[in-house]
Amino acid sequence: MTGEDPGPLVRLFGLTGGRARPAGETFDLVAIVTTVSTPVQPAELIPEHFAVLTLCRMPTPVADVAAHLKLPLNITRVILGDLRREGLVTIDRPRPAAQTIDERIYREVLHGLRSL
Amino acid sequence: MGYAASEPDTTEAASALAIKILIAGGFGVGKTTMVGTISEIRPLHTEELLSERGVGVDDISGVESKITTTVALDFGRITIREGLWLYLFGTPGQDRFWFMWDELAVGALGAVVLADTRRLQECFPAVDYFEQRGIPFVVAVNCFDGARRHDPDKVRRALGLGGVAPIVLCDVRDRESVKDVLTTLITYAVEGVSKD
Repeated sequence: MTGEDPGPLVRLFGLTGGRARPAGETFDLVAIVTTVSTPVQPAELIPEHFAVLTLCRMPTPVADVAAHLKLPLNITRVILGDLRREGLVTIDRPRPAAQTIDERIYREVLHGLRSL
Repeated sequence: MGYAASEPDTTEAASALAIKILIAGGFGVGKTTMVGTISEIRPLHTEELLSERGVGVDDISGVESKITTTVALDFGRITIREGLWLYLFGTPGQDRFWFMWDELAVGALGAVVLADTRRLQECFPAVDYFEQRGIPFVVAVNCFDGARRHDPDKVRRALGLGGVAPIVLCDVRDRESVKDVLTTLITYAVEGVSKD
């Protein structure tokens, strides 16, 4: 790192080409991001893209990706939207919690909490 | 591209799942402390950049230029097992960030409304919010040092709550106490009944 940071906003919107909204369907804070593939011509990727693709080899929620990149959520989402458009990650469709938690998961969660 | 069309019949036992729980309540009531007490990691911090659209609800008369500001968002994580997590999101305490709640609340399993009996009115907006949207919530009365212990029934009456949402006394600094609040919420949200 040399010299002064030109200012966080300049840098942040540089990452997204000035966009504040991600491409394609919107996704939730806890939607799960999973890396599909890492391109063979990495020169076209910015470091943040690489960081996401490395992190999300293990399925990772969006909020964790933002914290890991130390970037605001909406900037993170634009980056994730781009990666999804390129077919490099999948982002699972948010589902209402009540529909995703069956009896088995419910028991698991309660047991997990109690044994913390 | 992206993902296949959803097929409800398909069993996806192996898919990862992050369960979202909101921690709401007035400013300084102990939301961040509660997240920190139970989270396996130091609460993570991220920010949301707000354009003038979001700030417009605030009183910024006289300010004409576009404004970008940020709202801090702290959250914690509890790993139940690989691929199954609980995420606790502290909601922004300031009224002008209400619009962010809508996004936070999407798909949430439920919410903890933290209350301080010395300033009970500060949790009214959160109670109203979750009631109107049909999001299950419990009211957790944080028993600060020196704060008088209150009868949960009195708190219920003061809040104008029906007989359904559980009310628990807690100490947000105490791990067992926070676990108790969360298990009460999850049981209530899943079974639709109070644990007790």
